[in-house]
Amino acid sequence: MTTVRQLDVELSLPLDRFDLEVELHSASRVTGIFGPSGAGKSSLLKAIAGLTRARGLIRFGDEVWLDSEERVHVPPERRGVGYVPQDGLLFPHLDVRRNLLAGAGRARDAGGSSEASLDGVCELLELTPLLDRRVTALSGGERQRVALGRALCSGPRLLLLDEPLASLDLRLRRQVLPYLRRLRDELSIPVLLVTHEPAEVQALCDEMVTLERGRVVARGPSSEMLKRLDTLVGPDHEFENVLPCTVVETGEETSRVRVGTHEPSDVELVTPRIDQPIGAEVLIGLSSREITLSTGVLSGVSASNALAAEIRSIQESGVLRLVTAALGSNGPEVAVTVTQRACDRLELEPGRRIYLIVKATSCIVYGG
Amino acid sequence: MVSLKVATAATVLILVPCLLLAYRLARSRFRGKRLLSTLLGLPLVLPPTAVGYLLLKLLSARGPLGRETLGFDLDLILTWRGAVIAAGVMAMPLVVRTAQVAFEAVDPRLEMMARTLGYNRLQTFVRFTLPLARRGLLAAIILGFTRAVGEFGATVTIAGSIPGQTQTLASAIYAAQQVGDHREAYVLLAIAVIVGFVAILVAEHLARPHAEDSGRT
Repeated sequence: MTTVRQLDVELSLPLDRFDLEVELHSASRVTGIFGPSGAGKSSLLKAIAGLTRARGLIRFGDEVWLDSEERVHVPPERRGVGYVPQDGLLFPHLDVRRNLLAGAGRARDAGGSSEASLDGVCELLELTPLLDRRVTALSGGERQRVALGRALCSGPRLLLLDEPLASLDLRLRRQVLPYLRRLRDELSIPVLLVTHEPAEVQALCDEMVTLERGRVVARGPSSEMLKRLDTLVGPDHEFENVLPCTVVETGEETSRVRVGTHEPSDVELVTPRIDQPIGAEVLIGLSSREITLSTGVLSGVSASNALAAEIRSIQESGVLRLVTAALGSNGPEVAVTVTQRACDRLELEPGRRIYLIVKATSCIVYGG
Repeated sequence: MVSLKVATAATVLILVPCLLLAYRLARSRFRGKRLLSTLLGLPLVLPPTAVGYLLLKLLSARGPLGRETLGFDLDLILTWRGAVIAAGVMAMPLVVRTAQVAFEAVDPRLEMMARTLGYNRLQTFVRFTLPLARRGLLAAIILGFTRAVGEFGATVTIAGSIPGQTQTLASAIYAAQQVGDHREAYVLLAIAVIVGFVAILVAEHLARPHAEDSGRT
């Protein structure tokens, strides 16, 4: 993995109801820009793309894109960014192939071969069967994949993804998210991902910046998101844990996966059968409401998984409690929704070792 | 034939300025936009002879665009080129307005998208805006062309009605009726009706909204 170019942003931009004042320094592969809708996330992305004029400073590597004091404003066409908005914004008068190639001229000028990159992108995003379709004949998930592909074919040096999955329903989101992850792993360009979906942050982001009303209210590694679970769950106190996993074994009905991809942990999960080869990376979704806590090993249960874990925090969420626990000895943290009563009865507290009981059928295989 | 030559030349002449004006009116806010828009609409509401007279004054030897001011002769009075100017001016408001509506129907976010893909403003306009607005723009051109074909008042004022030189379909009908040549007048009338009928039919077909083309949903 080559080092990723640093993006430095210090912006101020008046919006309708408040001013956007953001300082951002990102050198990680995928930085999540997280926050409620209307927090100014999209405006920030547009300013970085050069589509709106802001005051301040934007530097990418050693290039200056914006310096309002020096009256520098590099136009969007010379910033070399790939921009993917919520609704994809495909060109309706072009077919899929010509949409994908719309920015290929720039990639060619930069020294890449457009045919090679078209082939590569089509393979990565499985677009080959769509090439000759009209864009109006595409489904939502296909549209977003084409929009991503178009951005990639333009040979971008920085990817700006503005809630690329928000216009999709849950099923499609789960289908497209693995593509985004694959993209992240195969390209060595930095990505800014605007999202308000914890699932996307867990699956993709290394770092996260939280915006509220135009200000940065939190920043840090994306795993720290779990420290403020109350802000992430809906009225049903449900949180979807998304665990990147590696397929270890596939049987008739079920598969076994190891949690973690680049740094595999000692935690294994039995899941519904996964139609992927051994060693493939998959995303497993696990709702916080589908996990049972137990203080000892149970016998005679139908659930296939009993994962050893250590409680890290117990957070209030209305009348319920959200327990976060780290899996195994070096695994990720997951969130579990329990009642206050269960919490008291089991005497749960941070540091206590417990088991997470999970049915194989509760594991959702993304992209499946 | 003179009509076709004049109308074609007039349409070609005004096309680029009209499209640029229409695009500016559709996209940007600027001081005096409403004033400009109103001025552009004037030829629609003024008596054509008034427009013709205004042009005549502008172009006459001592006018602001006349021989003595410019130092050379544009040679527009009583020539077919003068008819082109008159028809062009009269067709302009129709072309600008129809084109403006066509441009307004193009999602500006698609243009932004093109910019991020490496196209500068001009390339974006030529390669994305024009094709996206093509139906409305074609309608604008057709309407402008037929307006130019049928123009009478301003044309005769500035170019007269010299058979074979500056006499257009409109002025020919008038001349035929004046001298009582009803056969000639009927034939010309029939041509005028057919041209107009086809033009409106095609223009309306083109102007009907096609969601997949304009990019707005």
